[in-house]
Amino acid sequence: MESSLVKDNPLLLPLNKEKTVYDGFITVQERDFRMRILLPADRQLKGAKHCHFIILPFKSVFSLFFNFSQRLQQSADLVSFILELKTVLEVGLKSRPVCRAISPPQYYSQLMSEMEALGWDKLLFIDTEFRTLRLKVEDSSGRQHILTIKLKSKHPAEAPECSADLPVPLALTWTPQSTLQQLHSQFVLVLESLTEFWDVLDEIDSQTWILEPEKPSRADTMRRIAIGNNMSIKVEVDPRHPKMLPECFLLGAENMVTPLRNKLNANMHLWNPNSSVLHNLRDVLEITFPSPATHEKSDFSVDCGICYSYRLEAAIPDQVCNDPRCGQPFHQACLYEWLRALPSSRQSFNIVFGECPYCSKPITVKMAAQKS
Amino acid sequence: MQKASRLKRELQMLSTEPPPGITCWQTEERIDDLRAQIVGGSGTPYEGGLFCLEVKVPERYPFEPPKMRFLTPIYHPNIDSSGRICHDALKLPPKGAWKPSLNISTVLTSIQLLMAEPNPDDPLMADISSEFKYNKQLFLEKARKWTQEHAVQKNTGVMEGNKENTPDQKSRKREADSDQQEVEEPAKRTCP
Repeated sequence: MESSLVKDNPLLLPLNKEKTVYDGFITVQERDFRMRILLPADRQLKGAKHCHFIILPFKSVFSLFFNFSQRLQQSADLVSFILELKTVLEVGLKSRPVCRAISPPQYYSQLMSEMEALGWDKLLFIDTEFRTLRLKVEDSSGRQHILTIKLKSKHPAEAPECSADLPVPLALTWTPQSTLQQLHSQFVLVLESLTEFWDVLDEIDSQTWILEPEKPSRADTMRRIAIGNNMSIKVEVDPRHPKMLPECFLLGAENMVTPLRNKLNANMHLWNPNSSVLHNLRDVLEITFPSPATHEKSDFSVDCGICYSYRLEAAIPDQVCNDPRCGQPFHQACLYEWLRALPSSRQSFNIVFGECPYCSKPITVKMAAQKS
Repeated sequence: MQKASRLKRELQMLSTEPPPGITCWQTEERIDDLRAQIVGGSGTPYEGGLFCLEVKVPERYPFEPPKMRFLTPIYHPNIDSSGRICHDALKLPPKGAWKPSLNISTVLTSIQLLMAEPNPDDPLMADISSEFKYNKQLFLEKARKWTQEHAVQKNTGVMEGNKENTPDQKSRKREADSDQQEVEEPAKRTCP
């Protein structure tokens, strides 16, 4: 037993003849860990109490040995205990991110030559470890995009992780022979396939008032466009077929929205896939959208009549009193909170029937938060 | 959740465009503990007086009405000796008529209206109410006297001038009285 202990751990040595004190190092994955074990005179592990490690740079690994003394006392002998300890240390070391390791010089020279081929002017950002790069890419319509590349340690053998603000999943092919330049040109092709989609949305964004999302990103396919008087249309544009008839939801007071919905249904066949979504919406709904040139946004973003604010967390006031003379908007949460406590309200399944707090005309509200 | 955004907007509106004859402001750092002042309307027995009110905003506001109370003693059929106000807008349905479409500004305006037009058929102070109905002259006289005594800002002394705005000993005593009254004689309040 003693011999195998010394053979496996040549750096851990007994300090006295009785072999009750061990001091030295154990080696795991080419790293040495200082340790000291004090055994009782009978050398039974049950009485072993005093041990300590000096594993300063590996505090997280050390936490694995929270019940370290307990393990020691439960082990059959010292050899099996140290074997167990080494196994746990090994697992702990493997789970640690390897980023501390500095890459071989080839990694950097490879990266430099790839960047030189691509052109340094395209580099927006690189982190201090030379792992994460952000490249600036302009599409044919002059829109700026950013491609974020996270290089793996085995670059170029391992494919880097790429991400960008796109409405579709970004799938770039990578072989060990690939370069950043090839990645860049693949990304340009992806952008070109989406220019029509962004053209459609840019036109909507520039010529109408967008109620949602608050600040559309390049990945957002949904737009909620103000029509006026608490009415709006929510369109979901397909990034692959941006000029086709999108999914449309009309929001607002029933009496105002119904004529528009009828028009949408009646004129749907007039949708012209060669024209833009905005033009088609105008033609099909037979309306003109209020534009930033003619209207103030405050004309549409009317505050909730209960909480006096426009945004309540993320929600906007989308419950509107159906009485045309009232038309007061409310947040679903506010209206429900008020109506549910009133004895004059009536509830059927998840809908509460009550009175508009402003004009006292009948109003209903759904109990659950609406998906829209 | 709704209370903070709503109060912020209301306080902003109260400071930029207060209703005529009414001021309302927050006390110290507390956003839900407000003070209001109503100027006694001309042609009413409260003319020349400045009436101070305490406005407390409950946690569930605006789903619950604000709590308002006169700090300045006032002789009025619908306002009791502890300053409590019998007013529809200060109570939730079905007893009252509070709605989230009302706000502190509109309720204060309607209290101002109530001062000008008491509602003797829904009294809080039965004796003042019958006086208002059957002996209007005496009522007006007494109300004017109370106004002179408690609500007129006297410029003669700083001490007395301060007395109106900060609840003095007298009104603190009145607060204590009101708590007792609530326990001892709830039947006295005829207002539903």
